[in-house]
Amino acid sequence: MSAPTVAAVPVDTPDAKSVSVLVKDIVQEYPADSGGVTRVIDRVTLTFDQPGINMLLGPSGCGKSTLLHMLGGVRPIGVRTPTSGSVLIDGVECHGAHDDSVMVFQRYANRPDLSVFDNVAFPFRLKLWKSREPEAQWRGRVADLLKAVGLADKAGLRPAQLSGGQNQRVALARALVLRPKILLMDEPFGALDAQTREEMQQLLINLYQSWPCLVVFVTHDVTEALLLGDRVIVLTTQPARVADDFLVSEPRPRSAAWQRSATAQGLEERVLAQLHASPGRGQVRVTI
Amino acid sequence: MSEFWNPYAPPDPRRRRLLGAGSVLAVLLLWSAVAASGLVSQTRLPAPWDVVSAFGYLAWNDGHSMLLTATLWSVGRLLVAGMLVIIIGIPIGIVMGAAPQVNAALSPLVDPFRSAPVVALLPILVMWMGIGESMKIAFLFIGAVVYLIPMVRDAIQAVPQSYWIGARDLGATPWECIRQAVVPMAMPRIADAVVVAFSVMWTYITVAEYVNAREGLGQLIQNARRFSAWDQVFAGIMVIIALALATYRLMIWLKRRLYPWETQQ
Repeated sequence: MSAPTVAAVPVDTPDAKSVSVLVKDIVQEYPADSGGVTRVIDRVTLTFDQPGINMLLGPSGCGKSTLLHMLGGVRPIGVRTPTSGSVLIDGVECHGAHDDSVMVFQRYANRPDLSVFDNVAFPFRLKLWKSREPEAQWRGRVADLLKAVGLADKAGLRPAQLSGGQNQRVALARALVLRPKILLMDEPFGALDAQTREEMQQLLINLYQSWPCLVVFVTHDVTEALLLGDRVIVLTTQPARVADDFLVSEPRPRSAAWQRSATAQGLEERVLAQLHASPGRGQVRVTI
Repeated sequence: MSEFWNPYAPPDPRRRRLLGAGSVLAVLLLWSAVAASGLVSQTRLPAPWDVVSAFGYLAWNDGHSMLLTATLWSVGRLLVAGMLVIIIGIPIGIVMGAAPQVNAALSPLVDPFRSAPVVALLPILVMWMGIGESMKIAFLFIGAVVYLIPMVRDAIQAVPQSYWIGARDLGATPWECIRQAVVPMAMPRIADAVVVAFSVMWTYITVAEYVNAREGLGQLIQNARRFSAWDQVFAGIMVIIALALATYRLMIWLKRRLYPWETQQ
């Protein structure tokens, strides 16, 4: 992989949700206890220039979340990020939080004092979004999304009255209600039990069909990556480097039969071989 | 009795009430026995029935109720001081919790007062503010606010960072993050701080009303002490304890009504 030296020319039409993201030569270092520096991300270059589900697959603790947070502009405090390199969104260098992307976290940050409806409508309490749309319009959209994530009958409940999976649905709805060009997902289903995780993966596939955008999805689950991704980017650990980057053309939803097929098995072995070849620690998950 | 030494197996409510009432009754019996036996003179330990009759005398005598007047005065002072504690203390605590640099600047001024002898401030307050109402209110205010501010600050700092990051990612300004994500999460613990502040003020009320007392429960006790009417002193102390307990119960009830989601978490 050679790094493109010129940023892709942005096609800036606000109606089309097309967006180009260029991750250019990113290096991230943290001060180590020993006094030196630890390099967690080593010269990662990636281009995303069309809608699709992009899986960032790597062992736990490999720095993939750090990379994702850079795309969203959520930076850690007290450390220069990135140490070198840059993130360009539609050709513009990204320094801090920006309104092209919304992030879904593993720890859904739903406000416990607000109803499900108000949690999804939360962004419209903020100056940034309140001024952009009349209330009747965003209220309608919140209702649409609640229906889409299957919580229409739970709009009046509080988060504590919902299960973990349902809470994550609220977080997904809150992200999509803003119709982001970029949806960043930081191991969103990692803390859920196996059955709920499968339901949520199916839900994401359905939602993506209705609201296509550029999804960057961080996971350490090989099966999940092959189940959801149009593209799978395999990262090694300590430091994170791009070990592999391939497309999966099988249309979604991908059947159990496909998952057992020689193609899928071959891809899985290919990914595991890449991960085993890298020296670092960290774990990946494979569900059979 | 196999669950006797088990801190995780509380007795059922009926048994708990029975045990509580039993021990109170036991103390009352012991107190009555000591008083009746004449081992301790009446001037040192009034009998329970003397305290009850003193209570009756204070509650209604000669066409008016000394107790009611005193209670209204004390409650009034407490409410005024409490309002000031809430209006001034909570914003300061929130700002200290939300802005670490403000905390760094103000905490050396606030934190040491938690262990300072607030009672020793009374003569200084008298010197500055005289012996009127403002001195009494100021004393209650200082006594409570030095507890409340650090508690509010800690409540803000205890909110998980994920809420702040989530709001930031959605494009909230720093102030919106505090107002829309952090403060609402901290509200139940801030309410706890207010409850503590009111408890502290009840313990200081007698001290506040010590100087130049014309009205109030503190004055009532002070007056009775001057005439060695120990039965009235006991009655007065018990009224204060009962009022403090009632305030506490009321505020806990109010907190549950305002933040029902806290217990569900």
